[in-house]
Amino acid sequence: MFLSLAVFVQIIVAVLLIIGLMVANAVAMVYMERKVAGFIQRRPGPYEVGPRGTLQAVCDSMKLLAKQIYRPGNADLILYYLAPILAFFPVLLLFLPIPFGPYLTPLPVNDGVVLILAFAGLGVLSNLLAGWGSSNKYSLLGAARAVAQTVAYEIPMILALLAVVLLSGSMDLKSITEQQGQWPWEWNVVLQPLAFFIYLISLVAETNRAPFDLPEAESELTAGFHTEYSGMGFALFFLSEYANMLLVSFVAAVFFLGGYRGPIADGFWWLFIKAYLLMFFMVWIRWTFPRVRFDQLLNLNWRWLLPLGLLNLWLTAIVTKLLV
Amino acid sequence: MTSGPLNMVNPFAVLESPGTLAGDFYARSFEKKAGPNRVILNLGPQHPSTHGVLRVLVELDGEYVVRAEPVLGYLHRMHEKMGEVKTPWQYIPNMGRVDYLHPLAWNWAFVGAAEKLAGLTVPERAEYLRVIGCELNRIGSHLLWWGAFVMDLGGFTPILYAFEEREKINDILQIITGSRLTMANFRFGGVITDADDRFIGLIQEFIPYLRKRLVMYKGLVTDNVILRRRLEGIGPMDVDLCQRYGATGPILRAAGLPRDLRKDCPYGVYPKFNFPIPSGPVNDSFGRYLVRLKEIETSLDIVEQAVNSLPNGPIMMDKAPKVSFKLPAGETYFAVEGARGQIGVHLVSDGGKNPYRVKLRAPGFSNLSLFAEAAKGSLLADAIAILGSLDLVIPEIDR
Amino acid sequence: MLKAIWDNLKGLYSLLVGMSITGRYLLSPVETIHYPRKVVDDAILTSFRGPIRLTLGKKNPQETRCVSCQMCVKACPGGCLTVTKGDTKAPITWLYDFSYCCLCGACVETCPAGALEFSHKVYWVTLTREELIMDLLKDLKTRTAGPNPNPSSNPSPASPQPSSVPKDAPKASPAAPANPVASQTADQKADQKADQKAGPVASPNGHPEGAKAAPKDPGASPNGHPEGAPAALKEPGV
Repeated sequence: MFLSLAVFVQIIVAVLLIIGLMVANAVAMVYMERKVAGFIQRRPGPYEVGPRGTLQAVCDSMKLLAKQIYRPGNADLILYYLAPILAFFPVLLLFLPIPFGPYLTPLPVNDGVVLILAFAGLGVLSNLLAGWGSSNKYSLLGAARAVAQTVAYEIPMILALLAVVLLSGSMDLKSITEQQGQWPWEWNVVLQPLAFFIYLISLVAETNRAPFDLPEAESELTAGFHTEYSGMGFALFFLSEYANMLLVSFVAAVFFLGGYRGPIADGFWWLFIKAYLLMFFMVWIRWTFPRVRFDQLLNLNWRWLLPLGLLNLWLTAIVTKLLV
Repeated sequence: MTSGPLNMVNPFAVLESPGTLAGDFYARSFEKKAGPNRVILNLGPQHPSTHGVLRVLVELDGEYVVRAEPVLGYLHRMHEKMGEVKTPWQYIPNMGRVDYLHPLAWNWAFVGAAEKLAGLTVPERAEYLRVIGCELNRIGSHLLWWGAFVMDLGGFTPILYAFEEREKINDILQIITGSRLTMANFRFGGVITDADDRFIGLIQEFIPYLRKRLVMYKGLVTDNVILRRRLEGIGPMDVDLCQRYGATGPILRAAGLPRDLRKDCPYGVYPKFNFPIPSGPVNDSFGRYLVRLKEIETSLDIVEQAVNSLPNGPIMMDKAPKVSFKLPAGETYFAVEGARGQIGVHLVSDGGKNPYRVKLRAPGFSNLSLFAEAAKGSLLADAIAILGSLDLVIPEIDR
Repeated sequence: MLKAIWDNLKGLYSLLVGMSITGRYLLSPVETIHYPRKVVDDAILTSFRGPIRLTLGKKNPQETRCVSCQMCVKACPGGCLTVTKGDTKAPITWLYDFSYCCLCGACVETCPAGALEFSHKVYWVTLTREELIMDLLKDLKTRTAGPNPNPSSNPSPASPQPSSVPKDAPKASPAAPANPVASQTADQKADQKADQKAGPVASPNGHPEGAKAAPKDPGASPNGHPEGAPAALKEPGV
């Protein structure tokens, strides 16, 4: 055994807690999204179920559990059922290196960045399998778009995070957090605003959220790659989408916004506050802007974000290694 | 392989003989002319952004639309046949249901045709009320088009803002017509319900309110860079294309030809009002978008002028036709400017109780025929944007 | 190249403007009216035509003015009326199928005796299609029966109207020309308010002049009463 018993137990407990976190996050995010959407649209949102609609997500998930899972006749047996499961589990892995608090990292590895970036691409596999396995042309188009989009936007993400790694000199997420100060002007966002901006855009694009939500473009493709899913399959896709959002928000908070460090007391609460503020921002722009067309999306990536990311990396390298 | 989306295998083929082609008649005949390695997609009758039950068969080469063909008839309700079995008075409520977004214009077309045939004159106050109602309805229709168009493009919020204004317009129109969607206020020889002080007061409150809101729309949607990049350069329709298919309304005006029936063949009291005809400099989707927004402002001007100069008087002519009105023998054609283009009613009567033939010229039908040619070579997302910019209402296309 | 960068920066600014607009609406109160906690102003609702009903008789309010001439039956585009003549001129059955009615007003306009009018009834739902077939003679009797008749209440198939509502003093209604579709007397307005109250909350006593028909909910939000509620046409501001 390469792992001591203590570390093994730590990882198991962490995995269970993270599954709980993902489910609780989905419930909270569904409520927040629907309420924010409602208030932007000048209507109350969920109101009747539970006090001010707080139990709406719970009832929705019970409804989804009870629905019949209807597989289209031509759908591939294995791929159709595998895709939602594949959407859900890799995200679990990605939560492990994140430092939730000063002593609360589930898997303290010294190259957490590599782990995150490597497994972030697994999410697209589930989209592709869902689109192909549904035996539906709409889903296939949605899956093709999803693959192109996710693969493309990983690169500016890598470049933005690499700039921070260069700045901090380490790939360990905990030391990146420790090197940022307590106060907001000591965080990395002040030193790397361009990287933060690039990362913010790729954050929205990686999780397939509006205005980059072409894979599930409702008005063109009637729900894209998850057209044929109902009941629990749909619920798992949505759970994984919100978990993905939480994950990239955590990563952004750790890299740019100081992680668990805060003005008064360091702790996991700061990480959560920052991550939820970022997710509120993502929900806000979802309900404000129309959708970007697909070639414009890819143009934005290859012609603007990639050169900007490279420029930023180059400048960071010069400043940190030559001038300082 | 026997599974997967590219193979159009009929899931019920086990019940029929093997080797049956999938799809219905339209899909099969469309497929015959398809090139190799092309995907045939059915933007089917149930679709979130075809504004009704419209089916568009597209042949896709990757994301590019190579050929598009709309299939109609899913909402055919036989309005023209109903015109032959109902008396003219009984047919007026039908006109409210042909295009439920601009029902007063359809009302006016039919009632105007009957009045032209029977030689009835409408009192002046009724004419003013007709203009006010029709223009307010036009604003409501354009607001709904605007909201639905932006929703097609992915912005889910502006439609709810547009519906706030529409609620106010419907409150105003409910006073004179008694309903909010399928309105039937016009009668042969005038209108049936008069305007009271509350009506005038509400309109006078509404006009500056909407003007302020239009400024907000500009900031939220029209100036938005994402929307502009989606719409600029998409689906150019020049005057020649419009004239070949008979498209009218904002499409023709955006193409550059300022044709508007309210100025070219005026009916009612339109000559008394002073209003410009917005005709866009650019003929792409964004140009059509801007023309319709300018038309909202034009209609507001007309309503303001009409309300300020509303004369007193009767609202029905003396010896108004009763419910058992019979049209004299003859035929006539009467056209009005609807929100989507020229609405025409060709009325043929042989003197009997029911008309002999009521032919309804729906502007959407001609506008839709542009789509097949305009969408060639565009991306699928652009095809949806073009379809939205044509402002189609399928019930009036299928009648 | 520089122009492209400048265009993109301008575009970014337009995105921020858009976000500020939706952010402003995010923080402002909602525009929708949360039925049944609040209701829309009566003044807005009562211009809706609503199902038809028989007018009160001239000599005897409990008898209809209808003379069974069948003109309304012939005039109706949907064929929703059934009138059966008795031995005298008065009808013995008068059935109105609301599921076929398109609210056009042909019957109201063509009746030579002026026996029909619109009821402006908005709050009416049924659970079966049979309940939509109304017996208007029975409704007339129900409206005009009892010690405190409520002649302007709206037709309903089953439940009798609350008959303990006092009539309010008529208030000055705006001068409108007498035509069968839109005219409405003050006590009709007052009684419609009572009617709407008869739905979710039975109001045992009358209401002061000007009160709106919202069920008083003790746990309601601070602006639960419609006078403070966002009624549809009260605030012209953005």
